[in-house]
Amino acid sequence: MKLSKFGIVAVLFASAVGLSACTAKNDASGSGKDTVNMWVHYSKEDPEGKAMKQNINAFNKENKQGYTAKVQYIPRSGSGGGYEDKINAALNSNTLPDVLTLDGPNTAAYANSKIIQPVGKYIKNKDDILQSIRDQGTFNNKLYAIGYSESGVGIYYNKKMFSAAGIQESELPTLEKPWTWDEFMDISKRLKQKYNAPAIDMQLSDHSEMSIYSLAPFMWSAGGNVTNSKGTKAVGYFNSDETNSAFQFIQNMVKNGYTTISPKQKGFQTGKYAMMLSGSWTIQELDNQYKDIDYGILPYPVSPKTKKLVSPTGSWQYAMSSSTKAPKAAGALINFLVAKKQMYRTDMSNTVLPARKSVSELMKKKVNAPMQFLIDQNQKSGHARPVLVNYPQVSRTFAETVTKATYYKENPDIAKLMKKQAQDIQQYLK
Amino acid sequence: MKSITSAKSNQAWIYLFPALLLLTLFLFIPALMSIYYSLTDYNMLAPQARLFIGLKNYLTLFKDPIFLKSVRNVAQFVIFVMPLQVGVALGLALIVNKKRPGNTFFKISFFAPVVVSLVVTSVLWLYILNPEQGLLNGVLNQLGLPSQPLLTSPKQAMFAIIGLSAWQGAGYQMLIFLAGLQNIPNEIYEAATLDGAGKWEKFRHITLPMLKPTSLMILTTTFIDAFKLIVQPMVMTQGGPMDSTITPVYYIYRTGFTDRQLGYASAMTIVYGVAIILFTVIQRKVTGAGGDNDDR
Amino acid sequence: MMTGSQKARFAKTLISTILITLLAFLFLFPLIWMIVSSLKPEAQIYRDIGSFKSFLPSLDVGQWGNAYSSLLKRFNVFLYMLNSLLYGLGVTAGSIIVNSLAGYAFSKFRFRGRKLLFNIMIALLVIPGETIIIQKFQITRSLGLLNTPFAVVFPAMAAPFYIYMFKNFFDAISNDVIESAELEGAGMFRIYWRIMLPMAKPAIATVGTLSFIGSWNDYIWPLMVLTDTDKFPLQVAITNINNTQPVYMNQVMAILTLSTIPLILIYVFFQKYLVQGIGASGTGEK
Repeated sequence: MKLSKFGIVAVLFASAVGLSACTAKNDASGSGKDTVNMWVHYSKEDPEGKAMKQNINAFNKENKQGYTAKVQYIPRSGSGGGYEDKINAALNSNTLPDVLTLDGPNTAAYANSKIIQPVGKYIKNKDDILQSIRDQGTFNNKLYAIGYSESGVGIYYNKKMFSAAGIQESELPTLEKPWTWDEFMDISKRLKQKYNAPAIDMQLSDHSEMSIYSLAPFMWSAGGNVTNSKGTKAVGYFNSDETNSAFQFIQNMVKNGYTTISPKQKGFQTGKYAMMLSGSWTIQELDNQYKDIDYGILPYPVSPKTKKLVSPTGSWQYAMSSSTKAPKAAGALINFLVAKKQMYRTDMSNTVLPARKSVSELMKKKVNAPMQFLIDQNQKSGHARPVLVNYPQVSRTFAETVTKATYYKENPDIAKLMKKQAQDIQQYLK
Repeated sequence: MKSITSAKSNQAWIYLFPALLLLTLFLFIPALMSIYYSLTDYNMLAPQARLFIGLKNYLTLFKDPIFLKSVRNVAQFVIFVMPLQVGVALGLALIVNKKRPGNTFFKISFFAPVVVSLVVTSVLWLYILNPEQGLLNGVLNQLGLPSQPLLTSPKQAMFAIIGLSAWQGAGYQMLIFLAGLQNIPNEIYEAATLDGAGKWEKFRHITLPMLKPTSLMILTTTFIDAFKLIVQPMVMTQGGPMDSTITPVYYIYRTGFTDRQLGYASAMTIVYGVAIILFTVIQRKVTGAGGDNDDR
Repeated sequence: MMTGSQKARFAKTLISTILITLLAFLFLFPLIWMIVSSLKPEAQIYRDIGSFKSFLPSLDVGQWGNAYSSLLKRFNVFLYMLNSLLYGLGVTAGSIIVNSLAGYAFSKFRFRGRKLLFNIMIALLVIPGETIIIQKFQITRSLGLLNTPFAVVFPAMAAPFYIYMFKNFFDAISNDVIESAELEGAGMFRIYWRIMLPMAKPAIATVGTLSFIGSWNDYIWPLMVLTDTDKFPLQVAITNINNTQPVYMNQVMAILTLSTIPLILIYVFFQKYLVQGIGASGTGEK
């Protein structure tokens, strides 16, 4: 009796182990040398999906080698959930498609695990592609993934609130002459005094990827970094004087009440805050839904020591799976999709920043002034995020560091805090 | 008191078969696979490259400060949310079990937080709990009390999550209590009324004892569910500030799916799962459900 | 004319009803806010937030449909809803049958290993579903179910908690009922179908409601096992709308309203069914 029960459990366990162990390579990812399967992370009903459909039709018609591409649309949630779960499951069962999209920060992990293979040799006219995009897709000096759009962040400001607070047009910074942290804090101070509210929503309540993405440029402006260029050391880099000065700046912003760790939702859009740190998507939102807000975009504040303008970049990219049986066809497809014409179609339909210089020139003629500004800022000062295998952990530790720095009563000593945080990051580096 | 003769008892397996098959396939085997994974260095991105590393993951987790912290956090959550949520649920069930005008409306109202998406409730609660301009601090100030930091405070954030969870989840247990109340035959109440029993006596001597199996079930399942807290902290605080609202399941999920350390995440799942089982056994012994009703 | 005691009773009912109504609003306000917000331009939602106006629709009735019409232009909402409905009904029916059969076995049969099996089932409750999704996927794939509705429905049907609930309900039904039925020559399945199930209506109603809601709200699992966009449930569209920048809150509220209405309806439906079953002689004196 006891034995038979044990027997059942043993059989079940054995079958479980068998199931998990024999993820045999029985599924071919492509269905032939001329057919390319591709997964994308958005819905076919989105503007981006519709543009993709047009691009794919064009590829199938125009390519002379007889390649056929098929797309599967997998709408993601949040930062990539859902879509990435599906990728993970496909890895587990060896059913990855030939071409897939992946978010910029995933490059290193995917390349390191040999899920994707270098695509550099398939891409034409590489010099036209923005440096930040090439940096984002490069791991161990090889181009593993190629971004088809860019993103950018700026300081949105409410023109009426600025002039009512007595801030002159001539005081405002430009890309050629950006504002230093001190000048930025001075203007914040005047806004705070006028409106008796924080001057800017710096999205400090967002502890996701947005934290490192939008705040790391302060660190880079000062000449600081998360790690050394090899990505092997954080101690001495994440707690260098340069990095510390950027976190001191963030802490001072909170301490002086110029920004807040718990901003009101849509405070800028409804005229409660005079400034907001946000991405290009906010342009569409303001133009469509908050037409009475007269706004403009200002460049990133820069370190008073270096006066170097740095702004965030990065977005989703195309890559080729290592398991593909049709590398030539897949390479041709990726090259086709990031070529000038197709990239223009995708980026215009989705109203995002372009990843090529030539497409930038084309787009600038068609978009409004704030968008033009972001395209210019991006070309001039875009900086890719670090390419690290354990990026999720590093990104999270960065966000934690920001949170801790903003709790200025608990962590008055930035140098001490940064030392501890640098050690935390160190354990994730290989 | 055996109801079914032993000869027929083997028939039971026919009735059990569909459920057992599905549970084995989609719950039991996956759990066993977790045991196997927990002994490897399984990285989500490199499933074929995993190596057997024995008990290393298990040794790591007992020294993992975040895991230990998450266990303390969830203990705090369980202790406070259990009486609050189950108490509120019972109260609501008693209210709507009585026939009165607008009963359907009340039933929908109390159940509404269960069906309304967390996207909606989180927008509203973040507004209510905003330390600077939120409604809750507005009310406190009206009462002459100072503003509280709420979700931005490592000390208070978990209490805010507790309140939110109880508010949101009570409708679920209310529904189950309600089913239990509906299952009490009216004849018993009618007989008691004839005997001159008052409302309180009926509640005390009929409703409560008759509701015991339902209550024990709710205590057990709410207890287990409370240990599995993940969604509210994920949406409201992302585990912060300073890890003060991170829970084991959230940490396991993050380790497995964001950090891709599926081997380590599986080890934590196993250890945590076994711990909850032990706690549940103790809890059922204490509340008297452990005896079951095997001899009926 | 009301007598004094009638008056007192009326006053008491009135006061308690008012108090309960206030309590009800404490739970209802997100639902009202969601519906009202779906009828407003996005800017209005955030301008009103914090004042009582956030619970009143905009005065311009012509605007009410704007969020809905842009939503319908963006997505084939009805196809997704139909899919969700089919999965939901499949899961609900399956869940009621599978779990009640198992609950019946646990309650009314004395078989060997019963207690052990029941305890194992309770133990299975502790497994967080979020953490075993990869394993579940592998099994679904080896069963050859991928990209079929079965992949969505089967894993959601059996649940230890619902089995537990049914067992509890069947426990409460006296064995005399079964014995007399047996004497009349009824088989065990007939007893289950004709006697036990009708008497467990509250459990059916509850399990039905909860299964449907669970299935309706699931996003990651269907996305993982389905490949055709045409088979996706509504949650996929909701998640997409809520995560594609820029996010328009009025459209989010509109699709959430569309998604919540069926849940309220199924809840009301099962509650009616529940009351019919038991409360025929209800005196309201419980």
